[in-house]
Formats: sequence, structure tokens, C-alpha cells
Amino acid sequence: MAGYTYTFDHAHLLGIAGLHKLDIEHILDLSDKYAEATRAGQRPDPVLKNKTVLNLFFENSTRTMSSFEIAAKRLGADVVNMPVAHSSVKKGETLIDTAMTLNAMRPDVLVVRHSASGGVKLLSRKVDCAVINAGDGSHEHPTQGLLDTLTIRRNKGKVEGLKVVICGDIVHSRVARSTTLALHQLGASVHLCGPATLVPNGTETWGAASVQNDFDAALDGADVVIMLRLQLERMDGAYLPSRREYFRYYGLTAERLARAKPDALVMHPGPMNRGIEIESAIADGDRSLITEQVEMGVAVREAVLHLLAGET
Amino acid sequence: MTTLSIHNARLLDPASGTDEIGAILIENGLIKEITPGLTTPHSTAKSTLDANGLCLAPGLIDLRVKTGEPGEEQKETLATASRAAVSGGVTSFVVMPDSKPVIDDVALVRFISERAKETADVRIYPSGALTVGLEGNAMAEVGLMADAGAVFFTNGDLPIQNASTLKRSMTYAASRGAIVMSRPDERALSGSGVMNAGTLAGRMGLSGLSKDAEWIGAMRDTQLAISTGCPLILDLISTARTAEIAHDARQQGGKIYTTVAAHNLFFNELDVGDYLTYCKVNPPFRSEDDRLALIDAVKQGLITAVVSAHDPQPPEEKRLPYAEASFGAAGLETTLAAMLSLVHEEQLTLLEALAPLTNGPADVLGLPQGRLSDGAPADVILFDPNKPWLCQREDLLTRSTNSPFDGRRLQGRVMQTFIAGKNVFDRTAAKK
Repeated sequence: MAGYTYTFDHAHLLGIAGLHKLDIEHILDLSDKYAEATRAGQRPDPVLKNKTVLNLFFENSTRTMSSFEIAAKRLGADVVNMPVAHSSVKKGETLIDTAMTLNAMRPDVLVVRHSASGGVKLLSRKVDCAVINAGDGSHEHPTQGLLDTLTIRRNKGKVEGLKVVICGDIVHSRVARSTTLALHQLGASVHLCGPATLVPNGTETWGAASVQNDFDAALDGADVVIMLRLQLERMDGAYLPSRREYFRYYGLTAERLARAKPDALVMHPGPMNRGIEIESAIADGDRSLITEQVEMGVAVREAVLHLLAGET
Repeated sequence: MTTLSIHNARLLDPASGTDEIGAILIENGLIKEITPGLTTPHSTAKSTLDANGLCLAPGLIDLRVKTGEPGEEQKETLATASRAAVSGGVTSFVVMPDSKPVIDDVALVRFISERAKETADVRIYPSGALTVGLEGNAMAEVGLMADAGAVFFTNGDLPIQNASTLKRSMTYAASRGAIVMSRPDERALSGSGVMNAGTLAGRMGLSGLSKDAEWIGAMRDTQLAISTGCPLILDLISTARTAEIAHDARQQGGKIYTTVAAHNLFFNELDVGDYLTYCKVNPPFRSEDDRLALIDAVKQGLITAVVSAHDPQPPEEKRLPYAEASFGAAGLETTLAAMLSLVHEEQLTLLEALAPLTNGPADVLGLPQGRLSDGAPADVILFDPNKPWLCQREDLLTRSTNSPFDGRRLQGRVMQTFIAGKNVFDRTAAKK
């Protein structure tokens, strides 16, 4: 294929669902470079110099917003944080009105989190700048899917052929959707696990290889285990009988992890409920990649910001 | 005495099974003569109209229309709904009681009737709330409202949750000779759902409206209809199984009618696509298999009436994230085209498509229109079943243009509409 050059030709990053395998690999390759640069103490080229990145979070999230802020600043952007959840913007103004108001301020990138599935896509139709979905309802959280995939690729040297188990509240999790879609694209075998009340039908269309309610069986031969955060309000009888029953069947303990491969790695998108979905000894143990995920989160966001708005 | 002869028309009358070229003679607002085979005007007619082979059918009777009058006139008024209706071939419709205030009182029933007479061409029939304020607790004055002209009683989109309240309401309504209409929906189960429950909803991260909720609701409501002897319209069913539940209850002696929204016969859940809020309706667009089975139920005559479920919603209710947007679709102008699309797909014959739009609903309410017969009111439409058109929001006459058909190419269009023999809509004139 002489003369063929790959170009990342997406205007927005709204989900993993719109990405090709080549796109994902390209983002991960660039993320790797940013991760290495940071580890080496190097300042990357200011590809976002004179660009404005607006963090628009309709739902609270200190972690994700900080991650985007650090990524954008490392690339030289001017960053404005708008935690709308606390502001008057939220009251009485529709999402589209907010979008159009902010659009008039001519930002170059809008990083948006919204509580409604599809909310970020709706907003993207009304603005002229690049939009990054930082989580929309129970739909997608693409940078999380990418950072999970990057973390796995760096630690296992590959993604293809790995058995990855994602356990927890699948039905309400945008992380589960994005991570499953991304890992499946790169050839991993993704197995979803959780109590039947928290696993939706039709996950094969996301690329899941199986759905299981028995965590012990699901762990058999796993290379990677991703535990999801369980929202505490789901645990009081509506979806589950109790916290202790959940921990008994779906909590990740050392004993249970022994069913996976000896070199199996453990991940969690955070914030963790220690003692509910994961035992502290595991979360803090040497097989845990949880802090590396946070580190890779910044690298992935640098790569995505670069591709969508950077000077090339 | 005014007389009009419409000749050289393809006469379509589901009630009698007529489908042939002929002429009708209208005298003083009533159909005076139906003459199959006649391609020239009746000689006694003072005025004549050559239909040029267009289809002539009874005007549509729509059992489920919402406007915003009274209280939310920014959505729609009886007058704007009437304009939309006649351009869609609808000559009679029933307005739902869920306005502001709720139609739960005789004076409000009279208000609707009087406003309709003053401002609308179409025949408008009020329905009444089954419970005060649609709150599902205290019975509304069913008898008095029926005497004032309310044609049936319903709790609208919020069906009565307490089975005992519903049973007593139905027992009482039956004793007053009134019909009850109820949405089969076990609300505890449908909960906060916003689209068809299933794979797609799971993938899109939206909460689902399960068919279980509709089936359990239908089982409850039909059983109570059998027990109380109250005639029941199962309002807006969306699966073939619900039609079977209704059919079984009929075999047990229940007087059960069923309605389906035309859009549920046309769209499936995939049309929701990228969170399109114009496709957010309740009951939701189901799977393609469900849609096809529902069409088959129409073919088998298990569906009494196809309705527009016209529910105008202004932009501030629809330009929102999917889960936050209101349910509802404007439908008065697209019902006939939606049904004709099923004829073009060869799923239904023309008469099968027209029956649940005309004599089907007329018979539920005991109306004389909805058929081409001697002495019936001359509410008729002339339509071209093949005429292609592009449905565009900005061309619609309804005040809120929240149509899921926006941007769709449709085939089949109403050219003229007559109510009581009077021309109330002429597309060729409207164009000029």
C-alpha cells in the first residue's frame, strides 16, 4: 500500500462505537509516547498553544475533570473548568441553550460529561468545535475505554487473545460499554459478569464473548480482571439484597483471584468501594494497575486532545 | 337544498366491502346515493366534481388526539389541530382529557364541545377523565359528563394503578352505559423506561419499557372488563400478544376494543437511532418482529382502530437529551400515509388499511359516519394512494411539528376533505 497514510479524521470523540481498530491503535500509540515523555520528565510540544479547552461537567467528577485539565495544560492549552452541576447555568437552561452559549465563546474543544445517555452527542450537533465525551449517562466513556486498553496493552504487551473479565454493575456502567467495545476491537475476549439484575440483555452486540452470573467460573483463566464501582444506592434491596451478599459473590478477594491466571492483573476505574467490590489487599497489591490507570488516563487524554485540536 | 355529485371515483367502503369505480350524491350534508359504475355525475346534482379516478373513502375517525387546549395553547389548539386533521383526511376525532385543567367536569366537557364548534371544522368529541384530576383516586362524574357528550372515559397516559379503583370505576361506568378506555401499562414495571426494552436500549444506556408491563396491564384491564361488563378500549397496544390477550377476553364475553398508533405500525426501535427524541413515544417503537406481528393483527381484524395518538410537543419539550424529553408525536397528518405504506408494501389491502380508520372506530362510539351508506353524514375524503411526498416539519399544519416522519418519503396523500358535504380542505387550492 504505497502512499497510504493514516489520518485520524474524526471531528469529535463521542464513543468507542464510532472508532475503527486503526483509530484506537493510533490513539494508543500516541498515548504511549505521551506517557513515556511524562515519565522521562519531558515537556511535550505545545500542540494546543493558544487553544481553549472548556471542561463542561454537568455531573460532578473531580478525577476526570482534573485529568483532562492536566492533559490540556501539558499541551499548552488554556483551560476553563465549568462544573455546571454547581452553577446557575444548570437551572432552567436546556442543554442545547448552554451549548449554544458556550459555542459563542469560541472554544476549541469542549470536554463534556452529562447525566443523560446521548446528551453529549446532542450537544455536539449544536457546536462548531471538537467535543470529547467524558461520560454520558449509562452510554459511553470513551477515554476510560481507551485508558483501560492502553494499560492492558502496556502491561501484557498485547491485547489480542487476552481473556478480560469485567465484573459489577454492567447495566448502569458507561465504562463497561466503552471498555468492552475497545477491547473487543483489538481482539480481546471480554467476559461480563454480575448479578442478573445488573446485567442487560444483548451485550454480544457490544462485543462481549459471554455473560455470566458466577464470578468464580468467569475468572477461570482470566488475564485481566476489571472491577466496576457499585453505586451504593443500588445495594439496598432494589437490585441487590445487601452489601455483604454482594461482596460474598462478586467481591474480588485474594482467594477468588487465584482462579485467574497466576499473572492476572487487576483494574478498577475508581473511585473504589473497598470491602464491597474489592478487598484492600488486592487493590493495593502488586498485581493492581489502579494507579497506573490514572496515569494512563492523562496520557490518553493528551493524545485525544492532540488528535482533535492539535497543530500537526 | 345543496347537492353535490362526486363521480369517477374509486369508492372504498370497508363497512360494506365496496371497492369499485362509481359516484356518490351528497344532499344536505348527508350521503343520498351511492352509485357503483357511474362515471358521470348524478343528473339531479346542482354541483359536480370529477374525482379523476382518485379514491373516495369515509373520512378518518381518530380516537386519540391531544391538543393543548385548554391550558397549553402553545402546543396546539382545537383550531390548529382541526386544520392539521382535515389535511390528513381526519374528519372526526376524540380529544383526550389530559389538558390543563383536566377534563373531569361537565362544564369542561361543554367547553370542549363549544370551542370545537366555534373554532374547528372537524367533528370533535370530548372524552372525560375517569378519575378526578386523573389522579387515579376519586371517580369523576362519569354519568353527568356522558350526558354532556363525553364519548368515553379514560385516565389517559397515567392508567389507574389501583385495581380496586379501576374495578369500581368500570362497574359504575358500565351502569351508566359508558365506555372506559385504559392504557395497558403496569406502571410499577414500566417505571422510568424511555424506549423499547432490549438489546438496543442496553447498548444505548437507556432504561427500557418492557412488554411485560403492557401484557400484565392488558390482562388486568381485560379481566376487569369481563368481571364488570364494562366496554373497554385497550388504548395503544404495541404487540401482537396484547391483541391476543384482548381477543381471549372477547371469547370470555368481554366487550373489548383495541387501538394501535399508526406510528407503531411504521417504525421500529432502530428508528430511535442517535437518540432522536421525535421517535420517543409511549408505547415505544418495538422490534421489527413486533411491528410485523402487529401489522398481522391488523390484517386479522384484531385491531379495532388505528389512531394518530397525536401528541403535540413544542421544541422545549423535545430538544433535550433523550431520557429527559417528553413522550409524544404529532400524527394527524401522517396517519393515512403510514397506513398506505403498508398497502404499498403489500402487507394490507386498501380496505384492510382503511377499516380501522373508519367504520372500526365509528362502531365503537356508535357514530353514523365512517361509512359510505345512504343517510350517513357526508364526511368523505378524496386521496391519491400513490402520490409521493416528502414529509417535512416546516410544511406541517400542526402547531408543534414533532413528527417522527420528518424527512421521510411517503406515498399517498389526501387531496380533498369534506365534512357534512362541505369542502373543508383542498390541497390543490392550498398550494396556490
